[in-house]
Parts: sequence; structure tokens; C-alpha cells
Amino acid sequence: MWVMPVTANAQHDVPNLIAPWLARHPGVTVRVTVLDWESGWNKITAAAASRRGPDLLELGTTWMPAIAAMGGLERLSAAQLAEVGNGAPYYPELWKTTQVFGQPGVYGLPWYADVRAAFYRTDVFRQAGVDPKQAFADWDAFHAALKKINGTTVAGKRVAALAYAGKNDWNVVHNLAPWIWNAGGDVLSPDAKHSALDSPQALRAIDFYSKLAVEGLVPSNALEKDSDILEGAWVGGDYGVIFSGPWLMRRIFESPPGSVVRSNFDVAPYPAGPHGHATFFGGSNLAIFKGSRHKAEAWELVKYLGGKAPQVQLALVSSMMPARIDAANDPAWTSRHPVYAKLTAIAADGRAYPPIPAWGPLETVYTKHLGQLAELSSGIGEPYSVPAMKALIADTVVEADKVLEEAN
Amino acid sequence: MTAVSAPGAGAIASVAGREGARRRRRFDAFPYLLLAPAALMMVIVNLVPIVQGFRMSLLKLNQYTLSQFMDAPFIGLRNYRGVLFDPSNPVHSGMLGALRNTALYSLLVTICAVSIGLGVALLLNRDFPGKALARTLLMLPWVVPTYVVGTLWGFMWQRDEGIINHVLVDVLHLLDHKPFWLIGSNTFFAIVIPTVWRAWPVLMLIFLAALQAVPEELYEAARLDGANAWQRFVNITLPALKPVIVIQVMFQIIDNIYSYNIVAMMFGKGAGYPGEWGDLLMPLLTRQSFSYWRFGEGAAVSFVMMAVMLVFVAVWMRTFRRSMTDEA
Repeated sequence: MWVMPVTANAQHDVPNLIAPWLARHPGVTVRVTVLDWESGWNKITAAAASRRGPDLLELGTTWMPAIAAMGGLERLSAAQLAEVGNGAPYYPELWKTTQVFGQPGVYGLPWYADVRAAFYRTDVFRQAGVDPKQAFADWDAFHAALKKINGTTVAGKRVAALAYAGKNDWNVVHNLAPWIWNAGGDVLSPDAKHSALDSPQALRAIDFYSKLAVEGLVPSNALEKDSDILEGAWVGGDYGVIFSGPWLMRRIFESPPGSVVRSNFDVAPYPAGPHGHATFFGGSNLAIFKGSRHKAEAWELVKYLGGKAPQVQLALVSSMMPARIDAANDPAWTSRHPVYAKLTAIAADGRAYPPIPAWGPLETVYTKHLGQLAELSSGIGEPYSVPAMKALIADTVVEADKVLEEAN
Repeated sequence: MTAVSAPGAGAIASVAGREGARRRRRFDAFPYLLLAPAALMMVIVNLVPIVQGFRMSLLKLNQYTLSQFMDAPFIGLRNYRGVLFDPSNPVHSGMLGALRNTALYSLLVTICAVSIGLGVALLLNRDFPGKALARTLLMLPWVVPTYVVGTLWGFMWQRDEGIINHVLVDVLHLLDHKPFWLIGSNTFFAIVIPTVWRAWPVLMLIFLAALQAVPEELYEAARLDGANAWQRFVNITLPALKPVIVIQVMFQIIDNIYSYNIVAMMFGKGAGYPGEWGDLLMPLLTRQSFSYWRFGEGAAVSFVMMAVMLVFVAVWMRTFRRSMTDEA
């Protein structure tokens, strides 16, 4: 079994997670191999191409369609699907990621979820006289709130309004996508054959998002950092707001006991745009490898790990959200801290990318070009302007469409 | 003019001819046996992947045909045409900028690294207390792996928290504000300087070894003739080091054209795109062929690079053949 480092000590935690299942299947042994996100992709694609690999494996939600389209995964049978309620227990947007866009067939079960929300400092908002409920109501209110909190001094520290990363970060697209969705745009055309980043709605969202940095609400030095550093800086008290996922909770509670953030934070959904307040939904799925010689046992284990109790257990050790609706509403998860219950509520508006096999290359194209928005809005070199932004997006669309053309 | 044969010359020639014929007949396989394992390894490690890579460059090998691997559709030279001449080809996108950056980067790094290496080697080529320790300490940048260099310098270049701006602005007061190094055109210097920092120590060591082989008598004779330090350097040291410099400059240019790690580690957390002024050929090729899953085109462009480098090496070797074989 190949897994990603879903917990800080996956080599220990994943065997613990499957121990009850192993106790019921005494003839089965499971060797857990923990890959890393950097090299995992190469290893999995090599396995899929050669048909030599593990019995079952964890795949990022955006990876799954590519590996399935390569013929690397076992398609679930109607009987197997019936055993898991045809996907009904899982968040529908995550269930969608177990399939290939426009094709019949399901290739696995959602395992855990990555859901994004606005983590904000309650003390900063209080000090600036901003009501968080109003602040995240819509884009205008959010913009006004950021202006008010920007530069607030709390406990002798000047706090910048918002943190988001620039080009050197893997979250570039994930950070921007909810703004595009909420403006009524999308990352792809409805038939998933073309990029839709140049639609008026998407351009409006990109302009709004970029101007937060142009206006100094996102300090320009944030744009040279990555999400990991910025999350650490937010926990350290440098920023008022950051969009992040449930894993940030672990960092908050690992901060020193006297940390000002520890007792002064909350979460809110993305500020509503003209078309709602969707958030990014990602995570990982479990699938059976096509070349497996133990498909029956692999399915039993996938089914077990897709069940409610193991998903809750994994969420508790990993700080990632369960992918099952009932597990995400389980008191063991929601009662840990009020924020977890709020994350579960926010997940109802979670939205995943269309599960196209070309998403991997497409995301690299998007990340490469959209990362340059940070350069444009940093104030270094060419000043930010809507025509310059549109030109950058036009280049993005040309390259993205070429990548998509191969898929069609 | 008539050739006159000495008496007995015919008999000697006849004996020599017979011995030569015997030598030709007695084929000695032993040297070939000794060479065979190395030759076999060369074929397995180098030749087979090169041939396979070339075949890949003629295939439509991408995400959708990867499972067919070497049985993917054969498309002749279309990959080469695409990556070299088709502006809409994703692998081609940004290639001119990366080519410009790579040329400037290779030139600048090579000049700086060779100059610093040579300068420090000259300083170390004299006796002073602690010379061995100084030589060892100066080698430290070279023992740091390039991926660590990229990561560390990535932190050091940060505008507000990085130590470089702290030293330039707060300590030395050389600048009145803290510039960005990882955003904008300064990105170019952010990749050049760490590369030079890591490259010069090994050059220093090689030049130092070459300097120690220059006979001291040459300098003594020059001093007696009244040559000053500059004249001794130009007329003795440089000619003596010329074969080493020529080879090292060639190695540096090759290394720098193929440079990947420092850029990848400094800017590799996203798409691996450092921006207009930081993109080099190898990071571009890795990103836009392999991250885009265009393996056939990636193989084609790798072959183009290999061919260009072979031509460069051939021209270089031919141009400096005499310099490389001259005795000091």
C-alpha cells in the first residue's frame, strides 16, 4: 500500500489505522510505503505505465483522473459501488474526483479532504473595530475590513491585513480558484476543453484578488514566500487573515502556550462574490492498482478505510477533514474545537476541479502564469494594470488550451 | 637521384618484414578482454539510454500514450519542429528568454568563478601561517550540495528576513532600502551569485595544484631579468596555466548551461518558474516537457541540447587544441 505523508508520522499512524482490519483478516499482511508529494507522482506514473506497483494506493484528487485514464486503476464494479451506497456517504464534489470527466466509471473512494477557509485573528478585528460577520459577508465588505485592519498594532506588533503567496508556491491556483468561482467564472469551460480564465467573471476575480496586493493589503514581502512560511508567520502574529486548511489547527496548537494567536482566532467562509462563497475542495482518494494480484483484499481494505470510524480516526491524527459527510459531522471531530464544526459547515460549499486527466499539466501551466500575477502586483518592474493582467491571462489561456487540445 | 642500398640492407628488411608479419598474425586479445567490462558498461549506461532517448524523441509520447511507452505512435521529426519552431508549442513557450538568461548566466558565472578561483589560488600559492586551514575553509562552499545551496540562498535573499539585505542595508549601509531579490529582474543575480559562490573553490584548488607545478626557476630567472609581478603573471603564470584554464572554462560553461538544482530549489515550490529573468533552459525543459507530460518533445529538446553541446565542445577543443596539449 502506497500512501502520502498524511500525518506527521504516517509510517506509524497508517498501520495503526488498519490494525483493526488486519485483526479481522489474519491471513493478510499489509506493507505500508510512505511516498512524498514531490517524488510520489513520478513513482505512481511509472508504476501505472509499467503495471507494476502496489495493491492499493492513495492518490491526490487531481491525480486520480490521470492515473485512471492511463489504465492504471481498477474500475469499481456495480456490486462494489452498491456496497458503499453508490457514493452517497461522501461529499458529492469529492465523489466526483473518483471519476474521469465525461466518462462512466468510478475508480476509488474519497479518503480525506482538504477544505479551505479564512483563518482570522479575532483580537486584530476587535482592535480595529471590525465585525467579522460583516467582514466576510461579501467582497466589498472584505476589502473594507482589510483596509481597516491593515497596520493594526496588537501586543506591540504591527499586523498586515492578509497573507497570500506568490509564484513560489503550489497553492497558486487553489488560492485563486474560489474567487473565480464566486465571481461566476470557472477554471475550465463547461465541456472542459478550454481554459475559462479569460471570461469576464474570472478576470474580475483575478483583478480583485491582485489588487489586494497592489493596494498593500497583502504586503509585497509575502509574495516572495510560500504558503508554509506564511502560515508560520500568521501563527506568529504577522497577519490578520490567511486562507488555509484544517492542518493549520495543528500549527496553532503547537505554538507556544502564551502565543497570542492560540486564543484569538476563528474561521469564516470565503467572502461571498456575486455567485456565492464556494471554497476549494481537494484531498486524497484510495484506489486499487490495476496490476494488483490481491484485488479482493485490496477492495476490502479500501472499503474499510472509506468507512466512518477509520475516517474519523484519521482526521483526528492528521488534521485533515474526513471525506465522508457523516464522519465530518461526528462529534469526535466537531467537538475538538469550535473551528472544526465550522470547517464542516464550510465544506458544504466545497468545490473541486473538474476531474480531467490533463489537470496535472494544466495546473503547472496555471501555476506558472498566475504566479506571475504576484510579480505584477508587487510594484516591482511594470506597474499593475488591467490590460497587463489581461495580457498575462491571455498567454495563460493560449498555453492551457494547447495542453487541453492534446486531451481532446 | 639514385637510391643506394647498403650491403645487407635487403636481408635486414626481410627479417623485419617477417617479424612484422608474425606480430600481425599473433593477435593479442588480452588488452581487449581487460577493456571489455568497461566498454560493456559504457554501452549499457550510456549508449542504450541515448539510443532509446533518440527513439523517444521520434514518438508521440505523452500522458495519453505513456502506457504504450516505446510503442507510442511514430511521428518522425515533428517533435523537433514543434519545440524549435512552433511558437504555440508549450515546450517552446518562453524558450528564447530562457536561452538569453542561460547564455548570460553561463558567461557571468564562468568569468566570475574562474577569476575568483584564479585570484585566490594566486594568493594561496605562497607560504603563510595557517595556509592549509585557509585552503580547507575556502573549500566549504563547494562541499555544500547544490540543492542545499539553492534552499539556503532562497532564505538568505528574502527581502525583510534575509541576511543579505540585512548586511547590505543595516550593517554596511551600501543601499538605502532593501531590494527584492526573488521578484523581478534581480532574480537573475539571485541565481548567479550562489552559483559562483559554490563554483569558485574547486577551481581555486585546481589552479593551485597547477600553480605548484610551475618551476620556481622560471620566476627566479624573470626576477633576475627585472620582470615585475604583473609581467611574471602574464608571461609565466598565465601561459603555464593556459591548458588548465581552457579545460576548466569549458567544463564551467557546460555545467552552467546544464544548471538546474539551484533554480529548482530556490523557486521549485510552485511551477518551478522563477519569472522572466530567472528561468534557465534546464528548469524550463523539465517543467514544460516533463511536468507537462510531453515526454517525446522533452526527449527531442534534450537531443537538440546535446547536439549543441557536442558542437560547442568540438569547436572549443579544436580552437584550443594546442593550448591544451602545450607543456607548461
